[in-house]
Amino acid sequence: MIIKKSELNAVLDKLLAGYQVYAPVKEGNYAVFKQIANGGQAYLGYSNSKIPPKGILFPQSEKLYSYSVTAEGARVEEHIDGSKKVVFGIRPCDAKSITLLDFVFNNDKYTDPYYMTRRNNTVLVGLGCNQPAPTCFCTSMQSGPFASEGMDVMLVDIGEGYVAQALTDKGKELLAGLGLPEASADDQKAAEDVKAAAVVSCQVNTEGLKAKLDAGFDDPVWNRIYEKCLGCAACTYLCPTCHCFDIVDDAVDCNGCRVRNWDACMFPLFTLHGSGHNPRPSGKERWRQRVMHKFKYFVDNFNATACVGCGRCIKNCPVNLDIREVLADILGSEARLDK
Amino acid sequence: MQRNPYLPLPMKLVKNFTETSDKLIHTFTLQFLSEEDEKSFPYMPGQFAEVCVFGKGEAPFGIASSPTEPGFLKFSVAKVGVVSTALHLMEEGTIVGVRGPLGNYYPVEQMKGKNIVIIGGGFAFTTLRALATYILDPKHRGDYGNLMVIYGARNPGLLLYKDELAEWEKRSDIDLVCTIDRPVEGWTGRTGFIPAVTKEVSPSSENAVAIVCGPPVMIKFTLPVLEECGFKPEQIIMSLENRMKCGIGMCGRCNVGNKYVCKDGPVFTKAELNQLPNEY
Amino acid sequence: MQELAAAIRETARKLLEEKTVDLVIGFASGSLPLRSTPCFIRKPEDAAKLVFDAGCENNLANYLRQRDEKVAVVAKGCDTRAIVVLLQENQIKRDNLYIIGVPCQGMIDRVKIDALLDGKDLLAAEVQGEAVTLKTAAGEKQVALVDVLHDTCKTCQYGNPVIYDVLLGEPVKPRQADDFADVKAFEALSPAERKARLTEEFSKCIRCYACRNACPMCYCSECFVDCSTPIWIKKSVDPADNMMFQAVRVFHLAGRCADCGACDRACPMGLNLRTMTRKLVMDVKELFGYEAGVNLDAKPALSEFAFDDPQPFLVKE
Repeated sequence: MIIKKSELNAVLDKLLAGYQVYAPVKEGNYAVFKQIANGGQAYLGYSNSKIPPKGILFPQSEKLYSYSVTAEGARVEEHIDGSKKVVFGIRPCDAKSITLLDFVFNNDKYTDPYYMTRRNNTVLVGLGCNQPAPTCFCTSMQSGPFASEGMDVMLVDIGEGYVAQALTDKGKELLAGLGLPEASADDQKAAEDVKAAAVVSCQVNTEGLKAKLDAGFDDPVWNRIYEKCLGCAACTYLCPTCHCFDIVDDAVDCNGCRVRNWDACMFPLFTLHGSGHNPRPSGKERWRQRVMHKFKYFVDNFNATACVGCGRCIKNCPVNLDIREVLADILGSEARLDK
Repeated sequence: MQRNPYLPLPMKLVKNFTETSDKLIHTFTLQFLSEEDEKSFPYMPGQFAEVCVFGKGEAPFGIASSPTEPGFLKFSVAKVGVVSTALHLMEEGTIVGVRGPLGNYYPVEQMKGKNIVIIGGGFAFTTLRALATYILDPKHRGDYGNLMVIYGARNPGLLLYKDELAEWEKRSDIDLVCTIDRPVEGWTGRTGFIPAVTKEVSPSSENAVAIVCGPPVMIKFTLPVLEECGFKPEQIIMSLENRMKCGIGMCGRCNVGNKYVCKDGPVFTKAELNQLPNEY
Repeated sequence: MQELAAAIRETARKLLEEKTVDLVIGFASGSLPLRSTPCFIRKPEDAAKLVFDAGCENNLANYLRQRDEKVAVVAKGCDTRAIVVLLQENQIKRDNLYIIGVPCQGMIDRVKIDALLDGKDLLAAEVQGEAVTLKTAAGEKQVALVDVLHDTCKTCQYGNPVIYDVLLGEPVKPRQADDFADVKAFEALSPAERKARLTEEFSKCIRCYACRNACPMCYCSECFVDCSTPIWIKKSVDPADNMMFQAVRVFHLAGRCADCGACDRACPMGLNLRTMTRKLVMDVKELFGYEAGVNLDAKPALSEFAFDDPQPFLVKE
């Protein structure tokens, strides 16, 4: 099927009748995913959004439940969002990241009802990347500019329109409701050409990385890697796979709600025990945790790397601490150690 | 979908008992509001729960009661943070929340037929008390061999569960070895640090399992003693205490290597811990 | 710039070779166009990695607190002002610090560059004299260097280091005096307009604390935002709490802020944090005649009380 660019707003408006629609919206110099009220708000012109769309399923601040307590008991009311949503224009790296978050929020023992309810009610309409950014390294992280993992529908921009392909039942249902024309053979051909022409120029060597990390907990490389890190959470909050959170109360006396907020392994308080002991007392341990979690622990547990190569942490680090260089350092190019 | 693991069960605080002479540890007895609630909370010794003080927050504590004591849950809590401080100040009769039970438990099935050595220090004795009580229950006592409990604190006032210790002292089906760090007036029992006392009593590793909980320094010096006694890493069981929030393996802070203390632990054998980085 | 970089390398190599210091903190070339990155050099032969260009925007004073080893630091004017404040606040031992002073013409603001590129990614860039060439998938574009400098740099009065052990390169000419036009324009707005402007700006904040962590002067062992008893502000993202965080941060820097702009530059969301920090910089200057970090011997504004200090917040004068 094909969505003509001239029809895009109308298509989005049609979706809005049945779904909450989230799409990239231009905000100053960048785009962020926002719930749109009309098709005209969507802006698909950026290589990727500033903040990953993970927040649609796992908001930065989320009320889990509210409570009111009396002498007899407590009334607890959960806030589970079961609305139907479409994420329109999600990039392949971000769509893949959601399949990784699924492992976390639906683990071997527990299911997170907040995330999973949203997840089950959300259709991901992906948009392939004709022009990957210079910081993109998705092809090194088992993804790619036209990888479709996690998507329900994939769109390919062929200039005058988007060739749309349903990949799941959810996707078929969504497209069926839009009454779109079929893509012509020429359109299909154009889509194939666009896919073939997309180049991810940045490659990151990951050969032997897992083995190196398996044996590398005490490697001296950790003594250097973190040195310039400021310990802020820009990399983790803007990472599509980072999912750590904190649970706090927002209440007056004993009536209020319990809220979860994004948290970050880069903060010293993250692991501080009540006794004052901290198993990850300095930037060294915290950076090791960040790398180990993404490239070893996650692989151990789910057989997948918790990095999709979106490049956000590279673009947004205030001191240009580049994960690609960190991985190269770990792989043991000694000459880079002091860089 | 299973029930929402974030929602607490309301419970009534029926007793707020000052456990130690320094008043820093209180034992809280919480009662289920209904039989149905109690049924929805099947637990085993070694598990923990998130106790929530509405309006303040929630914090994880090991369950000090044993499933063989129906009707209530017990927690012994040191006053260190926001939630524990609020609990300490709480009046009896107040409603609090509890969610769980969380984590794994002492491997009571695999321990059957074995001699049990429980070693605890300071206020880390909570889930060990649950375990000892579980084993001492008439329904279970026959399943296990000798039960030795080595328990120590800095001074007599800091020992938890003093009345129970006195009762255990009188029983013949438990060998209680109580110690305090240094002699004080009025204390007629043993003195000396746990590792030294463990060495003195030198528990046999023959068909035995040792369960050790305590401050890091106690653990550090007790493990070599157990090794000398012939305990293999597979025979030593420990319980970890990393900072936690969710309790269900999602929030990301309590991991040691690829294991989450909340979901995959808190109980690990020394053999399992030997495979993990020392980040606890 | 090339000669300056060479002089930095040579100085660093010598300091390490002669064991005057154990560590040199400077800049190496970064992984993105127009971006250099802090680097830590411990071996004389590694001094070759040091660079100095228009992408050295980080304030390296941030890495100097509570260090045991002897450290040399490559310091621009604003960095040296931060060092002065940290020396006054006993966070750095002067005896353990060797300051390699470098004059600075200003650093490039990549947010401004992004604004010129209309969503395209910057593939490469080159600074030649007063011009910057930007290359994107859409082609090349030339812009004037002065148009893409950080606003902080445009009003900076201290392009030359205020304290140093060695000064490399040619001192830069002083800029036109800072008239705080940005702050005054903001002050001229009505309270409702100011509130609307701040609310809009701080609704974008993601509370990553990059601003706090990038500030050399934000070194409290427990930041008020992390304090649990009492809870001063909520941890949730909410424009009101975000604003409260910034307000307290800025007040905590009154009389201490060296106006280096590190907070503003660190913000991944591109928030304008400078108008707030500079309001306090301006007030402290106008009310107390004090500029932070300019003179090591001057008594900090908050450490001194005079009976004729203006107190407009207490009494209408």
